[in-house]
Amino acid sequence: MATAQPLYVLPGDTIDPSLIPTHKKLPLRLGPGLRHIPPSAIVPTVAGQLVADHKKNSMWVEYNGGRYIPAPNDLVIGQIQRSAADFYFMNLTPFTSNATLPQLAFEGATKKNRPQLASGALVYARVVLANRHMDPELECVSSSTGKAEGLGPLTGGMAFDVSLGLARRLLMARSREEGKVEILELLGAEGLAFETAVGRNGKVWVGSDSAKTIILVGRALRETDDGKLDVDQQKKLAKRLIREMK
Amino acid sequence: MPREIEPSLNEKQFVLQALQEKFRLDGRQFDQYRPLELTFGDQYGVADVAFGKTKILAKASAEVTVPYADRPLDGVFAIATELSPMASPAFEVNRPTETEVLLSRLLEKTVRRSGALDTESLCLVAGQKCWSIRVDVHVLSHDGNLIDTACFAVVAALRHFRKPDTSVEGGILTVYTPAEREPVPLSWLHSPFCVTWSFYGDRGEIAVLDATWTEEQIRVASCTISLNRHGEICQISKLGGTPVEAVALLQCTSIALTKAKDFSVFLDKKLAEDTKKRNIGGFMAELRSENDR
Amino acid sequence: MAASTEPEAALSVLPRADGSATYAHAGYTVMGSVNGPIEASRRDEHPYEAHVDVIVRPAAGVGGTRERHLESILQSSLSQLILVKNFPRQLIQIVLQIEATPENDYVNTKLVQASLNFPVVPALLQTAILALLSAAVPMRETAASTVVAVVPQGAKRLLVDPVPRDLEAAHSVHVLAFTSQDELLLAESEGDFTVKEWDEVYEAAKEICCRPRTLDEENDVGPDLRHFLRTTLEEKVAEDLYWK
Repeated sequence: MATAQPLYVLPGDTIDPSLIPTHKKLPLRLGPGLRHIPPSAIVPTVAGQLVADHKKNSMWVEYNGGRYIPAPNDLVIGQIQRSAADFYFMNLTPFTSNATLPQLAFEGATKKNRPQLASGALVYARVVLANRHMDPELECVSSSTGKAEGLGPLTGGMAFDVSLGLARRLLMARSREEGKVEILELLGAEGLAFETAVGRNGKVWVGSDSAKTIILVGRALRETDDGKLDVDQQKKLAKRLIREMK
Repeated sequence: MPREIEPSLNEKQFVLQALQEKFRLDGRQFDQYRPLELTFGDQYGVADVAFGKTKILAKASAEVTVPYADRPLDGVFAIATELSPMASPAFEVNRPTETEVLLSRLLEKTVRRSGALDTESLCLVAGQKCWSIRVDVHVLSHDGNLIDTACFAVVAALRHFRKPDTSVEGGILTVYTPAEREPVPLSWLHSPFCVTWSFYGDRGEIAVLDATWTEEQIRVASCTISLNRHGEICQISKLGGTPVEAVALLQCTSIALTKAKDFSVFLDKKLAEDTKKRNIGGFMAELRSENDR
Repeated sequence: MAASTEPEAALSVLPRADGSATYAHAGYTVMGSVNGPIEASRRDEHPYEAHVDVIVRPAAGVGGTRERHLESILQSSLSQLILVKNFPRQLIQIVLQIEATPENDYVNTKLVQASLNFPVVPALLQTAILALLSAAVPMRETAASTVVAVVPQGAKRLLVDPVPRDLEAAHSVHVLAFTSQDELLLAESEGDFTVKEWDEVYEAAKEICCRPRTLDEENDVGPDLRHFLRTTLEEKVAEDLYWK
């Protein structure tokens, strides 16, 4: 994973060829923040930390901030703006053009029986198509299994805004070890009952029967994000918030 | 230009439900302001004010002009509020939105019409020369409650401001540059502050101070009370929305008075700190200008 | 004027914009915000590339033709740096709010009609670049910019980052910007000058914008802008990735 000395790059920097991973079989994969200028130059386009994964033969620039730019397979929380004949028009981030969500892209939806969602409703969805020349397209059902797999309309609860970096860390398979974010687990361990859905577009939905719990989780997320808390500080924060609640 | 999107149904319902259970999203009390920050610029008349994530910069400036023909003994005083896309991409340059118009009207009523600044003292030569004082309000970040923040910034900037010293001898007006004579403060009569209540519920029974942008988008009515620390009310405006009971409004006003007192104390303290800090700088600056000559 | 010789900057200072920065140098303080890519209005929509919208707002007074002129200069320079082809039909909106300009203690300025000018361009450009980096808008490269005045006499004929009093005496004022690949990005001049003078100005500006950091400063012309940009960003990135 990350080398001992983090390497920070700025747009237009030249990357030392020794840092570019080589692999016999796999093709080199470039992640966010890098672009390939034929024939062989790889140039960063954002300011961040250059990370290379030699096992997967991939490299990318790690950074936090900016606006969410849709990419295929990202999980996002969108808000329904309006509905057309076969589509819902969804908003992922303020002031961007709408994404489309076909009305049949829900589990078990048919022409006659499909979910009726009002304008303003929140939906947890996956990005299927993201292309610079087209509006992004979303789905709430896995096209391979036909199951929802947790996607679909979010009822009740509250959506909180977090930074893109925190959303990414929360979505990591091992968010505790790699992302160093444990606050949700900590609050759960303290006996709070709530459920969450994390969108890569910087939104976290929290659902619970108790309004108090939702507010507490929201505050915990915001303070972790704004205060850039590490795991120990998150533990303290969880304890403090639980105490305040009682 | 893209329009501001409304909060989702979930957010609307939840914020209301929480308020009914006496909770706010950020854990504040209903009558509690977000942390107030005030910093003065290096130059006179620059105030940077933040209530939580709402941030406003006000800058006062002065210029000698000709007074209006119908008011030969008064100076000119104007507050310019232009919301730039920096606050939100929904604001467009040269196309005032409703928010902007209401904000400038309220500031006008609160600061200008209430006679906070003695405009007669701005007169230099009757009918010929007077000072024109202008305050530019720049909204840097918009997270609700622009009115209270802007009003505080304008008052702070004007009280911090110093205009060039002048003298009139034999009908000849001399305006001294800062190098020649220390600039002088404005003739300030009282400091009005705006306190804005947001109302929720079917009958507006829930009243909340210093609403954030999300809270502001959901409120059913709002009421801005402008008053100074002596309890003199400059104006009350409640522009439409759900009717609110008179008794509740009275209570709002008395809480507003305690807030105005708090603001007044805070501003006085900050101004005193700044003067202290400047005194050292002023002395140093004087030494340097001596050397220059 | 107590103008700081070393520039100062802070990134992501505005919580609600996609990216923002403040930058203070040579008496100028500028706050910049970047939002984008966002939906462009029908008028600004371009089928193949993003529209870069630059708005310059004076600290006091209303903007006029001078601000529109500065906006057009910045717009064309920044469009070269931003990878506009990545976001067709979108808008990248940059708002630059001037907060402070150097004061001339010896003259009473007229403020109601703001009069911005070339010397503010480096501060505006630098702020815009910092804010764009903070907003993680994909860019081809970064740039650095400076202003050089040619004065009639004195020890140094070329003055970098001149103060208002020098500007009054100057024959000509030049703004130059160089990309991080040492290429000339922007050159605007005002006043009378000869080709030879311009060549000297070019060399001096290139020295400032592209020179690597050297420790012994025999003839210190100005701050190392490129190094400054890098250290500022490194600090920000390290802070953002504290969990790494």
